[in-house]
Amino acid sequence: MQSIINLLTRAVFMSTPLILGALGEVVSERSGMMVCAVEGIFLGGAWGGFAGAYLSGGNLLVGFLSAMIVGLLVALLYGFTTIYMGQHQIVMGTAVAILMTGFCTFFYRVIFGTPTSPLKVSTLKKLPLGPLAKIPVIGQIVFSQNIITYIAWILVPLISYFIFRTANGLTLRSCGENPEAVDVAGINVRRVRILAVGFAGILGGVAGAYYSLCNVGMYTSEIISGRGWIAFGICFLGNWNPVGVLIYGVIFGICDALGNYVKALGTSVLPNELFSALPYLLVIIMTALRRSFNVPAKLGTNYIKEE
Amino acid sequence: MNKRGEFGRLIFWTVLAIFLGLLICYLFLPLMGVSPSLAFTTMVTGVFSDKFTMGNILIKTTPLILTGLAFSFTYKANLYNIGAQGQFYVGCMGAVAVSLRLAEKIPGPLVLILACAAAMAGGALTGFIIGFLKAKAGANEFLVSMMSTYVVIYLLQYSLGSWLQEDKHEYLKTNSIKKAVWLPKIIDGTSVSLGIVIAVIAAIVVWLILYRTTLGYRVRVTGQNIHAARLSGINPVREYMIAFAISGAIAGLAGFTEINGMQHMLLTDFESSIGSYGIGIAIMASANPIGVIFAALLFGFLQVGGTVLSHSTDAPASVIDLMLGFVMLFVLMSFFFRRRSELRAMKKQALTKEV
Repeated sequence: MQSIINLLTRAVFMSTPLILGALGEVVSERSGMMVCAVEGIFLGGAWGGFAGAYLSGGNLLVGFLSAMIVGLLVALLYGFTTIYMGQHQIVMGTAVAILMTGFCTFFYRVIFGTPTSPLKVSTLKKLPLGPLAKIPVIGQIVFSQNIITYIAWILVPLISYFIFRTANGLTLRSCGENPEAVDVAGINVRRVRILAVGFAGILGGVAGAYYSLCNVGMYTSEIISGRGWIAFGICFLGNWNPVGVLIYGVIFGICDALGNYVKALGTSVLPNELFSALPYLLVIIMTALRRSFNVPAKLGTNYIKEE
Repeated sequence: MNKRGEFGRLIFWTVLAIFLGLLICYLFLPLMGVSPSLAFTTMVTGVFSDKFTMGNILIKTTPLILTGLAFSFTYKANLYNIGAQGQFYVGCMGAVAVSLRLAEKIPGPLVLILACAAAMAGGALTGFIIGFLKAKAGANEFLVSMMSTYVVIYLLQYSLGSWLQEDKHEYLKTNSIKKAVWLPKIIDGTSVSLGIVIAVIAAIVVWLILYRTTLGYRVRVTGQNIHAARLSGINPVREYMIAFAISGAIAGLAGFTEINGMQHMLLTDFESSIGSYGIGIAIMASANPIGVIFAALLFGFLQVGGTVLSHSTDAPASVIDLMLGFVMLFVLMSFFFRRRSELRAMKKQALTKEV
């Protein structure tokens, strides 16, 4: 029983960055912009977060703030070239990913040289929520997580409310469904889109930093290894809906935790690699099985104003 | 608008973009105590001083041509095959399995043909699955192909730890394949194998398929206007599967040229970024199969140049990705400026005609 509770606690812990990244993706994809640079944004966040925290003597707040800034800058680079220069989104995403791989490794070397043992910062502490944390089972799984996790949960209803219940949310969605109409109404489609992409960049930066500052307390160039794309997939599977994102985020958190759990157990009949590949397999199977998607009509198409 | 002016503009903007990309990258080098001018001269003289290093460019170029072609082919059908890396690994497994099991049992050239066929079949199958899911289940091919790479990476890890593992069972790699099943070297004093020839032939064949056969025509029409395609009796669903299978086969072929031509064994993290470089190459070449050869040569040169740079100065190896990233970014941006200058020229032409 205790091991199952531990597994689920770990699952919730590992689902946070996926939820954060996917929430940002939901907001920007609702405006018609796929953030294909998500992998690069995550990596930038992981790097920026670690550098900020380490250089400020282990101050994690500085770490997360610098992760946000790096994430925002990467997203703006992506947004500027796709929205204002009309470049293809998927292609630009790949270019940004390659650039960030080089950039982060290069500047890690510039700032820290080649340390003999890996540099570490102490990871973010858990924050048990007083009496709630004392509830059996649920207390440990849900109410003894760190603050970023709680923020991610609060963001789910907030973003949901923003997208579906506010005038600005309607504008955002219209940019993804019928940008011409939005333009005719006198709203600047490109500005809405770049703001949405910037927001995704900030959340993606925090998500990336979660891996370096909450999970391992250090930075390596393999720290993200496809997690950004998983967040991208969760946005699809969650049907561009924050609540869906939360559900799928937890499912993938369980996958992630299960892989580690089985590895630690070491007595499985099935190969470990199968469990490591599980999240990726799951995305493939689930996208293939789902029949109806509520895809924003203009997702991935750049808006070119007729002149 | 004449074609010549268009080509001239393409060359001008691309060269400018490459230059600016490298310049920005070099401006970061003083942070590591390397002066930009020294870096530039080291790179150029280092690469072109001896035959062996120059040969390395061709070696690096070989798989990049093929992954670039793989992305180009689906791109023509307006599909995105981001999973060339995975298809390449499956191709590697096919080639190495055949080469290990059949070497010295049947004649070398025959093994090579079979290894090539196995690599292409493996890649084609992986690609076909993606195309199938896209066509029959309406899955997003971009997402599925992206994820397939990670699945294949773990499949590769598993295989290297079990049925393909070397005899000592210590490391995650295979035995070296026998010399009889190596692709022959074609230039003395270098390690350049027949692989580069295969890659160039592949580029020409892909060009022929795309522009000189009905198959290629159907694929391109599907990509340009799916409704028109359907009305003229083309079944887009079928074209999706065909395009993905062919794309996968090309990426798988890269596995053959790398295993039998270059590395002679398979190990983990093997050429782990040729898939994403391939996308960059295809786009720089506007998905033109012949253009892919030249874009791949540029990437090959930058990779070898970066390696020389990191060996002979204090610059780290990550400078390669930094260079490639900036060059790609600037080339993509140059498309925007080129288009604008083309439009301006067209307007001017229209004006002079009116007068």
